Amino acid sequence: MISAFFIFNQKGEVLISRLYRTDFKRSIADVFRIQVVSNSDVRSPIITLGSTSFFHVRVNNLYVVCVTKTNVNAALVFEFCYRFISIAKSYFGKVDEESVKNNFVLIYELIDEISDYGYPQNSEIDTLKSYITTESVISSAIAAEESSKITTQATGATSWRRGDVKYKKNEAFVDVVETVNLSMSAKGTVLRADVDGHIQMRAYLSGTPECKFGLNDKLVIDKNSQGGASDAVELDDCRFHQCVRLNEFDTSRTISFIPPDGEFELMRYRSTSNVKLPLRVIPTVNEIGTTQVSYNITVKANFGTKLSATNVVLRIPTPLNTTGVDCKVANGKAKYVPAENVVVWKIPRIQGGQECTFSATAGLTSTTTRQVWARPPIDVDFEVLMLTASGLIVRFLKVFEKSNYHSIKWVRYLTKASGSYQIRF
Amino acid sequence: MAANMRGLTQFIADIRGARVRELEEKRINKEMANIRKKFKDGNLDGYQKKKYVAKIIFTYILGYKVDVGHMEAVNLISSSKYSEKQIGYLAVTLLMHENSDFLRLVVNSIRKDLDENNEVSNCLALHAIANVGSSEMAEALSEDVHRLLISPTSQTFVKKKAALTLLRLYRKHPTVIPAAEWALRLVSIMDDQDLGVVICVTSLIMALAQDHLDAYAVCYTKAVDRLHRLVIEGEYSATYAYYKVPSPWLQVKLLRLLQYYAPSEDATLRSVLHEVLQTIMNNSAEPSRNVQHNNAQHAVLFEAISLAIHLDASSPLVGTSAVLLARFISSKETNVRYLGLDTMAHLAARADSLEPLKKHQGTIILSLRDKDISVRRRALDLLYSMCDTDNSELIVGELLRYLKVADYALREEMVLKIAILTEKYANSYKWYIDTILQLISAAGDHVGDEVWYRVVQIVTNTEDLQEYAAKVVFEHLKSPSTHESLVKVGGYILGEYGHLIANDTGYSPLEQFQVLHSKSQFCVASTRSLLLSTYIKWVNVFPEIKPQLINIFERYRHVLDAELQQRACEFYSLASRPDDDEVLQNVCEEMPPFPPRVSALIGRLNRKLGDTEDKRTWIHGGKEMNLERHANSRKATLPGSSAPGTATVTGTADAQDVMSSLAGLNLSSSGDQPDSSRVDGSVVAPRVAVGPSVEKWFNKLTYSAEGVLYEDVQIQIGIKSRYQGHLGQLAIYLGNKISVPLTSFTSTIHVNDSEALSATFAKIPPNTLVPRTQSQQLLHVECKKAFSSFPILTVSFLAGAHQSISIRLPISITKFIEGVKLGQADFFERWKVIGGPPREAQAVFPITLDGTGQLDLVRYRQVVSGNHLEILEDVDPNPSNLVAAGVLHTSVDGKVGCLLRLEPNREAKLCRLTVRSTSEDVAAEVLRLIEKLLRLDSS
Repeated sequence: MISAFFIFNQKGEVLISRLYRTDFKRSIADVFRIQVVSNSDVRSPIITLGSTSFFHVRVNNLYVVCVTKTNVNAALVFEFCYRFISIAKSYFGKVDEESVKNNFVLIYELIDEISDYGYPQNSEIDTLKSYITTESVISSAIAAEESSKITTQATGATSWRRGDVKYKKNEAFVDVVETVNLSMSAKGTVLRADVDGHIQMRAYLSGTPECKFGLNDKLVIDKNSQGGASDAVELDDCRFHQCVRLNEFDTSRTISFIPPDGEFELMRYRSTSNVKLPLRVIPTVNEIGTTQVSYNITVKANFGTKLSATNVVLRIPTPLNTTGVDCKVANGKAKYVPAENVVVWKIPRIQGGQECTFSATAGLTSTTTRQVWARPPIDVDFEVLMLTASGLIVRFLKVFEKSNYHSIKWVRYLTKASGSYQIRF
Repeated sequence: MAANMRGLTQFIADIRGARVRELEEKRINKEMANIRKKFKDGNLDGYQKKKYVAKIIFTYILGYKVDVGHMEAVNLISSSKYSEKQIGYLAVTLLMHENSDFLRLVVNSIRKDLDENNEVSNCLALHAIANVGSSEMAEALSEDVHRLLISPTSQTFVKKKAALTLLRLYRKHPTVIPAAEWALRLVSIMDDQDLGVVICVTSLIMALAQDHLDAYAVCYTKAVDRLHRLVIEGEYSATYAYYKVPSPWLQVKLLRLLQYYAPSEDATLRSVLHEVLQTIMNNSAEPSRNVQHNNAQHAVLFEAISLAIHLDASSPLVGTSAVLLARFISSKETNVRYLGLDTMAHLAARADSLEPLKKHQGTIILSLRDKDISVRRRALDLLYSMCDTDNSELIVGELLRYLKVADYALREEMVLKIAILTEKYANSYKWYIDTILQLISAAGDHVGDEVWYRVVQIVTNTEDLQEYAAKVVFEHLKSPSTHESLVKVGGYILGEYGHLIANDTGYSPLEQFQVLHSKSQFCVASTRSLLLSTYIKWVNVFPEIKPQLINIFERYRHVLDAELQQRACEFYSLASRPDDDEVLQNVCEEMPPFPPRVSALIGRLNRKLGDTEDKRTWIHGGKEMNLERHANSRKATLPGSSAPGTATVTGTADAQDVMSSLAGLNLSSSGDQPDSSRVDGSVVAPRVAVGPSVEKWFNKLTYSAEGVLYEDVQIQIGIKSRYQGHLGQLAIYLGNKISVPLTSFTSTIHVNDSEALSATFAKIPPNTLVPRTQSQQLLHVECKKAFSSFPILTVSFLAGAHQSISIRLPISITKFIEGVKLGQADFFERWKVIGGPPREAQAVFPITLDGTGQLDLVRYRQVVSGNHLEILEDVDPNPSNLVAAGVLHTSVDGKVGCLLRLEPNREAKLCRLTVRSTSEDVAAEVLRLIEKLLRLDSS
């Protein structure tokens, strides 16, 4: 199991160091610093030196590192790291060097709680928040009472939920968030298009409600059955929150669960077929001699007219020897950013069916070694509300509770792209 | 830097301040875009250009790719401001690699800077050339650099840089530099006042002289002289003393330079050199406390010892140095131990007697276990070099023991060396076989194929050894794990000589077969095929195990490997022939002895020694190896000289024509320094100054003892000579006729046939000639044999420009003749005894009469007696005939008698000259000399 846990900053300085077992000395941190942080060749997340394995995850220029001497399940260790990051996020918002330094006491408290002798323990954020609080003082009487509750909860059948939750207004919010990844060749053929989606739920329901969740009718999950219709929504790699009853899902494909109180991620999935691309980008880029490049780019919103894409940002690469770019746009603003060698074209809103065009010429300077411009892809970021690129729709969410109260359910859809919606030209 | 560039400082500060690489990259991208824009817009003033190029340089240094700004850098070079020029040059040397097209644009600017009268610009340009060192620059600019180096107006620091720039160019593009042409001029700078310049030039000359030994021969004297002044006369400025050692760098370089040349014949030089070396050794006898002082002293000392060994490996100096070295190899300092061992290896490689080294054998063997691997290597080299028949068993045994624990890096070399030593110094063959098999089984993977090939060769060629070898190999094979090389040796030897031991118990054919075959499954295909050959040999000699063997062939007929399969099929059918068939017997005849051949091992070992920058003057190994190597290198240069084909042949023939018409010099056939001169394509012998008056002065001196030899507006050279038997002494008077001193004054003597004539200066000539004075130099000459060419005196000096004058010295064979008085009867008796040709030389030639129409008898007499022949009166009845006699003294060939008869005829205006001598060479030479003088007035 995990023998040690570290957080390093970019320079390799140790910010957090926790040894769970005695098989390492603290100086093992130096080994990681020398072998990984200062060695720019190493980019693999797992490095094994002798019998020692270092697992690391990078987040905001921090290294979250687990060290072990045994042959552990690597997926488990990485899950632990990511879980730590999400816990940290929910505790103090942002995980970076500064926040780690500011919250180091809390972090030590957390990592002692979520792992015991190197074995991962309960890492449910809501549960953790009930006894690891950022407020310092709780009166001791309440604390004693609370702690007994915590014990019953942690050891009970539904460790993620207390039994005595009460709300005046019973509400459940379901957010379906999809991230579209696209890479399109210069000829316009789709090389890769897939959707990473997750269903986020916020449940403010009294008692211990039993929920049932229904998605599209034509839904193929994990593509076991070959006979899925061509227009069916196919989901791969579904992953559920621990509250979902998996055996029920396995037998009847129904998603039923007792939700934790508050916010949680119900499900994660991936879809690779029938991906609807919300924005169509048609670039024409010509190199005129060695001194100029002309751009002509059209963006077309490929969805219903009632919807709209917001925060659309196109990053259009320019050659490395560009001196300046002269841009003309009808919608939004375009600006040459030399620091990144791109023209950034920002459009606040595109209505469904609308078309925006961009035309520009970039002036080049002569260089000593004439090398062909690599033409990196155009990168597009956007957000479209109430649209799922995979076509996933929430049909129903039923809540059964002994008291049979009425509950209100809200469903929201969001499709977005950030950093991996790329079009070559 | 004149104006500090705020933009640049800010840029650097920003980059330094960037916390992560991404930020740094962003900042640089932004800056680069800005620079591109500025450069594109143009209209930048010098300061802006400088600033932007500086930013580009900084970005480049950080490791980012930069592809703008080259043009701007080129423009900056031609700026007149120093700071801009400096940044321009910096950019050029950093951004452009040697094949960059932009360099073409720079060459002209650089030339301009070289030509400029501003030392700082000169230096910047020199730096750029040295740093970039492209071939184009070398071709275009080496002349200019050379000019800067030799120009009398150059500052010392320009000269230094110029010398080093040339060195760099020469190392990179040796063909571009006309090394031989520049030789004299460059060597003359070794006399510069400033030691710094001397060091730099010496470095340059060291590199050049290695490849052009003869052209740079002059530097030998210069180096000796400089060493003498430095070490003994203490002539150096205080700034050049490093911890009280006078310029150790220069000393080391000079001592090293001297090692490139064969030891000088010149007694004066030798004694001076001896004195220098002696002083150096005395100086460093006592180690001082100060580490730096010690270092400097040791550096000089080690080089001095090397030189002493090079000069004469049996001189007492070397004895002293052996004692010093012994102290060094047990020193506490690793470096000193290393150098001590290395130098000792040099000594061992050259010395006649290894006795002084053997005293320290124990220490050396201990050095094999030194903690530093480089020291261990040197110890190994030394042991290899000092091994001989007496200590071979000890050394080889020690090496074998050490082999097992030695570093992997060292093992292969060790194996080779052990194999060579074992073979070379084996006292008994048994010992040889024991050792070598032990070696093979111990070193395993590090044994090259050459080693076991050699074992097989030796065993096959030595009949007494075969039985013993077979037994020992068998014993070695019995051990459970054997290396493949051992299996190969075993396979071969048992196959050939297994039958010799088959009757002894424990060595029966079946046992031999089982032992060998049990190893076969661990071997690669080539070894297995060798084993198959062994088996077929056994089919012939051991019929009792034939079934087993045939069984094996049978099985191998189906293996995949083509070679094995073919062998198996062939052997199978050979073995399955009827017993009375003779084919098998004939095929398996015992191997005839190998023709004796050179061991491939030494070649292998020598291949391993890479060429470093400095040529080594010796190799590891005993004395014979070094001698052999010299012979080889000489041989190697010979084909080179004839390689260019007929063109060179006619070329040299032409040259010979010119030379022989001048003075009968045949330079290219002189014994001592023949080969490389022709390879260089340059003539070593200086071109002799010509002119009617030069000829007149010279001829006059051939029959008189003193007079003027040469004179021009700057210098006058006069001669006074005295001869006694085979020895002579010439006083050469050198007069400076101008009002400035002649510096870097060098005079050298070039003798064609040094076997026959030796000419040496009594002491090293001074290197300056004070204005309007005369200096005298004594030249000792000795006639060893008959010779035919005049020695050439080359005088070179700096009087503004470098000048060099070469003049023949009037030293002919007749100078060593002593007249003898003979009566008429005596004369004719001898005359007849000598008889006609070939010991007679005769010539008939026209003469002119004097103004009155009479024979110029007075002059004839003068000429004959001037050539040291005694004119005999009253021998010939005809009064106008001249008869003379003399004895030539030579130190090697002894005395040679010489008789002369001159019969002028007034009417016919002809003259007959007859010379008879006991040596035909002498007769012809005396005839030629005297005829030439007598003929003169006819022209």
